[in-house]
Amino acid sequence: MATEATDRIAARQRVEARRRQMEAPTTVRDDSEDEMIVSFPEFIFKEFIASVAMTVFLILVSIFLQAPLLGQANPGVTPNPSKAPWYFLGLQELLSRFPPLMAGVAFPTFVIVLMILVPFLDRNPSRRPSERKVAIILFGLYMAIVVALVIIGTFFRGHEFIWDWGWVLGNPQTCGGRSC
Amino acid sequence: MRVIRAAVDEMWSMVGQMTSAVFRHGLPLTDKIAARTALTNFVLHIHPVRVRRSWIRMSYTLCLGGLSFFLFIVLTVTGLYLMFYYVPSINHAYQDMRDLQFVVTFGGLIRNMHRWAAHAMVITVWLHMARVFLTGAYKKPREFNWGIGTVLLLVTLLLSFTGYLLPWDQLSIWAVTVGTNMAKYAPIAGPYTRYLMLGGHAVGDATLLRFYVMHVVGLPLVGFLLMVVHFWRVRKDGFSGGL
Repeated sequence: MATEATDRIAARQRVEARRRQMEAPTTVRDDSEDEMIVSFPEFIFKEFIASVAMTVFLILVSIFLQAPLLGQANPGVTPNPSKAPWYFLGLQELLSRFPPLMAGVAFPTFVIVLMILVPFLDRNPSRRPSERKVAIILFGLYMAIVVALVIIGTFFRGHEFIWDWGWVLGNPQTCGGRSC
Repeated sequence: MRVIRAAVDEMWSMVGQMTSAVFRHGLPLTDKIAARTALTNFVLHIHPVRVRRSWIRMSYTLCLGGLSFFLFIVLTVTGLYLMFYYVPSINHAYQDMRDLQFVVTFGGLIRNMHRWAAHAMVITVWLHMARVFLTGAYKKPREFNWGIGTVLLLVTLLLSFTGYLLPWDQLSIWAVTVGTNMAKYAPIAGPYTRYLMLGGHAVGDATLLRFYVMHVVGLPLVGFLLMVVHFWRVRKDGFSGGL
């Protein structure tokens, strides 16, 4: 009886040790000594508070800010400028600068594949920010470029998608000379 | 008198039985009861019964993944309400939007919530990705879940994009025209892809129906299944924990 129990404990310790070894290179801090708590209610309560805060925020925004609804769709009248939804304006911005095959197809495909491969391309086992300067700078650069392109596309592109310092909103300015 | 008291007692025990049939463990006054509650409750079973305090620090997660999922639920509920009043045909769509805005009870509020929640979800999913990158949480053993997350980001964008056409106003038709024009630049497959998306050579009735079907059934289903796998993997690979 005693030996069986000891065997079981030893086997469990081996499994635990192997798990630690597997995770060791990627874990910054050994968290196995951290305080263990029951997730209900503390964890669930945090989520609940976040959900309620988000709901209140959404309702308040929705009371004071109307979702846009312009005139009925008219395939015969093209607004100028015509803009994609804001999260695609970075792409539209690229399209206005580079050949379409590159900006519209090659580039987005490349970014998506690169994103999925990030965990395999990043050979650095550390998760400590001070030891991942290159990764963080590259990612920061990528985020900054995306945000800058979206802001430019949203606010600084006017008639004919030409540069306009006038903080032009994404809504169409004219429809063939008439207002929309 | 005794008969009435017996009847009242019987009713009370019935109410007690009903309550304990739904809520099995009463108030979570001790850790043991709390653990059993989490274990046997359908809504709570997504969570581990016990967590380390360092895993759920709000300054680490910023709640971004959870908020993204919550926004998905908000969008499902508000979207359901909008579906009662919206017909995806070019003869009805725009008028239905006007009715939602001016006639339907709470129609304008629900539509606004749907719109702003959609924008918010694009932002929270994006920020969630940034958080996971900056904390290096995608590293071994969570490489695969990062990949699923990337696809979920794409699904979010596509959901938002397909929804953009549905109001059938000048903003939506031309935004989708510009967006789908990008597809035609792909070598060989480009024009076919565009034709497949639009159901024709220009944005029209067929496009509206296609975008509607993808928006309310196709993409939410794909997104939901991927989310199930995403959450499952979070549990199986372990929480990434604090830095």
